[in-house]
Amino acid sequence: MADKKHPEAHLFYVDTRFEKRARRPGGIPREKAIEMAQARIEEIRPGFDVWLDQKLQELSKIIRSAQENPAEPEWVDTAFFLAHQMRNVGTTMGYELLTYVADSLCEVFDEENFDSERNMNSVICHLDALLLSRQEQYRHLRPEQVPELSIGLRRVVERAASDGSPKQDPSAAAATRPGVKKNR
Amino acid sequence: MTPATLNLGDLVILVADPSSYTCTIIHGMLRGFGANKVLDAKDSLTLFRALSGQKIDILICDARLPANDSNLRKQGGGLALTRAIRRNVNNENRTIPILLMASDTRETTIKSARDVGANMVIAKPISPSALYDRLTWIAFNPRQFVDTTNYFGPDRRFKIEGYPGGVGRRKGDKVVEVAAETGPALAQDDIDNFFNKARTGQD
Repeated sequence: MADKKHPEAHLFYVDTRFEKRARRPGGIPREKAIEMAQARIEEIRPGFDVWLDQKLQELSKIIRSAQENPAEPEWVDTAFFLAHQMRNVGTTMGYELLTYVADSLCEVFDEENFDSERNMNSVICHLDALLLSRQEQYRHLRPEQVPELSIGLRRVVERAASDGSPKQDPSAAAATRPGVKKNR
Repeated sequence: MTPATLNLGDLVILVADPSSYTCTIIHGMLRGFGANKVLDAKDSLTLFRALSGQKIDILICDARLPANDSNLRKQGGGLALTRAIRRNVNNENRTIPILLMASDTRETTIKSARDVGANMVIAKPISPSALYDRLTWIAFNPRQFVDTTNYFGPDRRFKIEGYPGGVGRRKGDKVVEVAAETGPALAQDDIDNFFNKARTGQD
């Protein structure tokens, strides 16, 4: 059948196997399915801390090495991928703040004018914040519960994006250090 | 209205994501939903191998899935892969439902996902309820396919009026203003609502 507006368009229905079979009787009702999925996540959760510590260690190592050899830009892709992984699973595993900080770090790496040397302070600031958000007393917090940290990181990202020559904001850096007062 | 229930038993689901931990989590969710045949792909090579070697019922693919082919990589990983699957006339999986997972939910990315032929976009991090609702929506709201010189994929002119389970956006809900082209990330509701623009001729 041709679309009247676009005569060259061919329109047709495909009754895919997924559509046919997923609609079969005997499925799991939404609430029950979500409850069971949540139970599966709970089974995985104990391994999350181990996984997260590994990823944080890898990221720290890569950043340390980049500080020593800033001329080798390949580290950015690896660090970006690590930050992405943390961002993508943090909230699902109950680490909302981790997702927020990792997302902010992805934004720094994603910046068109990202420069290993120039933006290193922003990266280190985010690494500190990631290590902080992994701590027991911070892991269940939402970004709005730690405004000093979230606003500070926002400022770091904006500065990195705006003039391409960020200087580390002392208040932002302080906000990312362990022991900073929380605003619950 | 009786909430729709999803029966994923014996359906072959392919999860394509570079992170093995993300795959583990999505596996867990799908198994919780009753799925018993879930496969993994870490990059475009394993994805195409899986697609050519067997019948896949639905693909859940990361928008940034690494592409082994340099051309696909330049065009943007998972998005380019979706386009390649839709464009390949010899691929029997050409019309499978594709649910793209996106960390970057800026309007441009969502628009690209829609225009390469994805059925739906889900924002990462993924929650079980968001995943269940999108799978249900795909299963219970079949859309016709459009084949033109520039596009092959599900009809992009559709409107979400709430998910079959009775959750999500309703007719009377306030219309969400969509962010500017280079603006911030969109929330899942905004992503769903975005497709509405095409139907009403605003896009």
